[in-house]
Amino acid sequence: MSMKKILTGSLSLILIIASITSCENDLPTHFPFTAYEFSDLDEDGGSWKPILFANGSSIVIDQPAAVNSAEYQAELATLKSASQNLNGSQTNAVEYWTNNPSIRWNEIALELAAKYNLIPPPNPDGTYTLPTAANPQGPPPFPFAHPPYTCRMLAYLSVAQFDGLITAWHYKYEYNRPTPYQTDNTISYAYKRNSLPSYPSDGAVIAVVSRDILKAMFPLEHDYLNALAEDHLNSLMWSGSNTTSDIEAGKAIGAAVKTAALARASTDKMSAAQAPRPASDAIKQAAFNRFGWSWDNMESPVRPVGLAPLFGQVTMWNVPNVVDVRPVPPPAPGSVEFERDAEELRSFAKKTTEKQRKIANWWSDGLGTYTPPGHWNRRTKEYIVEYEMNPLRTARTFAYLNMAVMDAGVACWDTKYYYHYPRPIQTIKGFKTILGTPNFPSYTSGHSAFSGAAAEVLAYIFPAEAESCRNWALEAAESRIYGGIHYRFDSEVGIDQGKKAAKFTIDKAKLDGAD
Amino acid sequence: MKKYLLSGLFTLTFFLTSFLLTAQTPSDAIMMKKNEICFAFVYDQGKWDQYWEAPNLINNENIGTFTRSTYAPMIAYGITDKLNVLLAAPFMKTKSTGGQLAGVQGFQDINIGVKYEVIKKDFGRHRVSALAVAQFVTPMTNYLSDYMPYSLGLGTQELTSRVIGQYEFNKMIYVRASAAYAWRGETEVERPYYYANGSYYTTFMDVPSAVNYQAIIGGWALKHSLRAEATYSILNNVSGDDIRRWNMGQPTNKMESAQAGFFVQYYFRDIKPLKDFSLMTAFSQVLKGRNVGKATSVSGGVTYQFTF
Repeated sequence: MSMKKILTGSLSLILIIASITSCENDLPTHFPFTAYEFSDLDEDGGSWKPILFANGSSIVIDQPAAVNSAEYQAELATLKSASQNLNGSQTNAVEYWTNNPSIRWNEIALELAAKYNLIPPPNPDGTYTLPTAANPQGPPPFPFAHPPYTCRMLAYLSVAQFDGLITAWHYKYEYNRPTPYQTDNTISYAYKRNSLPSYPSDGAVIAVVSRDILKAMFPLEHDYLNALAEDHLNSLMWSGSNTTSDIEAGKAIGAAVKTAALARASTDKMSAAQAPRPASDAIKQAAFNRFGWSWDNMESPVRPVGLAPLFGQVTMWNVPNVVDVRPVPPPAPGSVEFERDAEELRSFAKKTTEKQRKIANWWSDGLGTYTPPGHWNRRTKEYIVEYEMNPLRTARTFAYLNMAVMDAGVACWDTKYYYHYPRPIQTIKGFKTILGTPNFPSYTSGHSAFSGAAAEVLAYIFPAEAESCRNWALEAAESRIYGGIHYRFDSEVGIDQGKKAAKFTIDKAKLDGAD
Repeated sequence: MKKYLLSGLFTLTFFLTSFLLTAQTPSDAIMMKKNEICFAFVYDQGKWDQYWEAPNLINNENIGTFTRSTYAPMIAYGITDKLNVLLAAPFMKTKSTGGQLAGVQGFQDINIGVKYEVIKKDFGRHRVSALAVAQFVTPMTNYLSDYMPYSLGLGTQELTSRVIGQYEFNKMIYVRASAAYAWRGETEVERPYYYANGSYYTTFMDVPSAVNYQAIIGGWALKHSLRAEATYSILNNVSGDDIRRWNMGQPTNKMESAQAGFFVQYYFRDIKPLKDFSLMTAFSQVLKGRNVGKATSVSGGVTYQFTF
């Protein structure tokens, strides 16, 4: 080979390598957005109706020191020095948390859901050990952040954030303490300026309440969450947002809201949702006696108890009685209606188009992922930024979304174990699927119920997006049929059930003072 | 030299599919002469009923026995005595005896390689040779890489550079070593989020690059009609995450394997009507691994070679 050929060859080799490896290091690990100007400040937000409290003044926060007091002037001096000459990690923290940090905490919650959404493995003797809060290390570790666990986790997180910010807004506009940079124009502010009063710090409310709710939900993550919250709280000063007393008042609100939220969580019957074997067997027998069918786990070794058989009894947020949203029975196996939908499944199993395969995988959100509730939170987050929502309206959006999604989940689980309907792999001989079949009965489809509810809430909050959201929900419902793990009637009734469950939440939202 | 072709082709295909643990012999020190062309067809069946979840070897009855069948048509051609091109287009089928997940089938990746003989020097009856190989791989179909372990391949472009050194004693026994680095790109999957020691908000997965080291001892018998080789091969990704407990693998995993193999090829040089044909068979066993199946592979193939 001549030198020229070698050079040309080497050059093309380098170019191919460069093209192969070019984007390897910039895969996004969080939602790429930066601080933005809020479209509205919702100055009356302190009068909105909270979820867990009577009103925005239920938590008492004292009047802050006057801006011309020596005490406050000293705080300003501290803030001024803390917000100057930031090092690289401090600058990164300011950029990461932004002026709407609920987005980040929601994202952290989804990441922990994905981390803990692992099904317990069998023991060598074929038995299964279930995760328990009493021994979070396990093995298996606690929790198993499956969709019911995750939708509830997100509901408590979002409700607590919302109530905390209603309280913060109430006192912001009651005490009207100007921002640090308004009082001292030599203090720089890292985000978009606005007239939102700075006491109490809304960021501190979010940091504390999010940290503490997530610590309760993920007991093995205390160190991780403490470090994140510390970074977030520090960033409030690095960014020039808040002085010490602003932050302390925000932390006090966060602590009070957390206590109320976790008090509700401790009595919502979630701890009994993973019923023991005898109770689970009784539920199955009752369904068989009533309908003549029952669902079996098809794994090997067989899991003796389905996932969270009593999640249907967990306290709902806005649906008065779970039976109000329990649908009619599914068609009996072997009936004409059943055979029609089973035949459709056989046809997809024989030939799945690439488009169908993609839809099945796009909405799969199975083990090891943030679950369907997580998927809808992710979409919601993107809308929140697109619509430039302020922190309070952000929290409201997540709160109503996640209450509706959890109510839909509870309703769906009640239906699943009441009807105890077998999955396609149980009823159709030799049936193979492209998605793993979950460890709970078929009717109704959880994805469909979660998605039906989520789409309705988003349609209410973002009316211009209503059609897209509802179409996505339908696609999510359809995806389970393509995946071979649900009959069409599971999905169609599931969407309807989700919508019905969400209506109670939306009716409540319409009366909270925000519209 | 035409009789020496097969293992080069064999390597070409199976190095690329080697994350599936069907890897067979490494690249060899054999070159085709100018205008020689060889067609080969190889069938390989890899099976496992245990796999390494991170470094832990486990059984999973929901997979049972996993089988990957590969049908690999291949072509090699001598542009000059010192420069050969190689082409392979394997078709695969996967299935398992346990669980309800459907296997898949289809054409996997097209493999294009060039092999250049840098050194060939004789010392009496001994010979030293050194070669350089570059291989480029890209998916032929829109198969889903994110469907482990059933997926057909890693679904990414790959560029491998390999160096080979061989010492042949008395034209009978040879030892060979090779080292390769495979740069791999990204694979596009069908979900907008995945977890790989943290969240990823994208449909792209970074497929870890890999190193491959091989050591071979081989020899000739029956007047150079029969060739046999024993192989030890290591294929390790240089980065990646582990399969999490009782979870499915994914293309981001840090796959590692060490395997031993045996390869035999017989040339019908003395049987007139078949003089352009050879038959081969191979066996390999993964001995140690991480995030891969403990596969046993058996292959058989036929080659047909002539000069233009």
